[in-house]
Amino acid sequence: MRVYVVDNGGQWTHREWRVLKYLGVDTKIVPNDSPVSDLKEVDGLVLSGGAPRVGIDPEKMGKNGDYIDAFSGPILGICAGHQFMATHLGGAAAPAKVPEFGKSVVKVHQPDVLFEGLPDQFEVWESHNDEVTMLPPGFTALASSPNCSVQAMRHRDRPLFGLQFHPEVEHTQFGPEIFRNFLRVCENSS
Amino acid sequence: MTFDAKAFIAEQVEAVRKGVSGKAIIACSGGVDSTTAAVLASRSLGDRLLAVYVDTGLMRKDETNDVARTLKELKVNHRILRAEDEFFAALRGISDPEKKRIIIGNKFIELFEREAKTFGADSLVQGTIAPDWIESGGQLRDRIKTHHNVAGLPANMKLKLVEPLRDIYKDEVRALARALGVRVAERQPFPGPGLAVRVVGEVTPDRVGLVREASAIVEHEIEAAAKEKRLTLPWQYFAVLLPVQTVGVHGDLRVYGQTIAVRAVDSIDGMTAVFSKIPLDVMDRISTRITNEVPGVNRVVYDVSNKPPATIEWE
Repeated sequence: MRVYVVDNGGQWTHREWRVLKYLGVDTKIVPNDSPVSDLKEVDGLVLSGGAPRVGIDPEKMGKNGDYIDAFSGPILGICAGHQFMATHLGGAAAPAKVPEFGKSVVKVHQPDVLFEGLPDQFEVWESHNDEVTMLPPGFTALASSPNCSVQAMRHRDRPLFGLQFHPEVEHTQFGPEIFRNFLRVCENSS
Repeated sequence: MTFDAKAFIAEQVEAVRKGVSGKAIIACSGGVDSTTAAVLASRSLGDRLLAVYVDTGLMRKDETNDVARTLKELKVNHRILRAEDEFFAALRGISDPEKKRIIIGNKFIELFEREAKTFGADSLVQGTIAPDWIESGGQLRDRIKTHHNVAGLPANMKLKLVEPLRDIYKDEVRALARALGVRVAERQPFPGPGLAVRVVGEVTPDRVGLVREASAIVEHEIEAAAKEKRLTLPWQYFAVLLPVQTVGVHGDLRVYGQTIAVRAVDSIDGMTAVFSKIPLDVMDRISTRITNEVPGVNRVVYDVSNKPPATIEWE
């Protein structure tokens, strides 16, 4: 199975690559201005977090919009990737009332394949100034933290997922399990 | 799947052999990353490799002797350079952390280019690991700090750069080091700019001397407590000298002395970290010893921040 990581300039982009590599996936970090035609043989995409402030600097997100529109496989947006997914599909992201840095706890209130086998509450690591303030049409919120209502979302029909927290870092609980669940979705849809 | 050290060694020994056609020098601080890279590159290049260790004057207590011993044991062709005066002269009057890192990076390259010329090398091998280039930023990625071995390199550097550990993290380097029989495999990370980034404010031989003594006490006490199984050895544990003077009382006399911050964190890869829950009696010993044994220090504080939002080092 082949899952690529689209690099939006995050501190943990390379960690996403490492987790996927450890899970035995054929993976590569690709710049976010790679043409969609490069992704023909790919089974899934991770849109990394990044230094870009999605609300302020959408042009720094390169071709992320094309991937969301034209790539038919599953996509997991993380942090900036998640916020961009929301704004691109008609939702909204804006500076968070309370930005979160470091340790937080998320509560899963809508069971989903992404959180299968996980407790409904667990510890995660955050690092964000902005957040999703309005879900795009067709999306459901899956999890929240005390200071952020959309910690996870997914599209009802298409395999599009967004996470505000960072499943790729060592200190987030069940991070590899979340990736494994995402890979199962990739496997089933390829 | 986990990290396969044997496969990685085979792959990188070959990559270094291909990457270096003539001779190479390797910048070796004696830490886990550069020592491991030196052993790896030495397998590829043998006598065509010279490991250069620079005593910047910013090293920890007894570090230079210890590194010399390690390199000798590992049978890596090496040279020890003493350059304290040059580094302190270059850092005079500088307190901005980014400027410190850039000055140190440039100084290192100046010395390495000099050594490369003498040795006849055209390549520079470095033990750069993933967090070094990630945090140094570039293009979309924001610069968190200038790692001297990445963003501290001058644009006009003539040496060809070879970095066999670029895509791995500290936990993977340690696995590699164990597989290669490197004694320092479990040593705590120590940044290239050394104690210069643990002296907040201007870097002078006196202030570096203070933080060196304080750090030796922190290391000794935490390692002793770990040996007694009172705590698990943290990922990193050290002292930072703050540019803050506060009031104290020594033998009924007012003093206006220096402040040391103790930092200890638990991490796997350095990309996220939590502060270590050191037992209070261990903290007590550290505090009492520092304020009694390090002249001029009358206050010790403990840093209780995680990464993010803080970084592990203060600068």
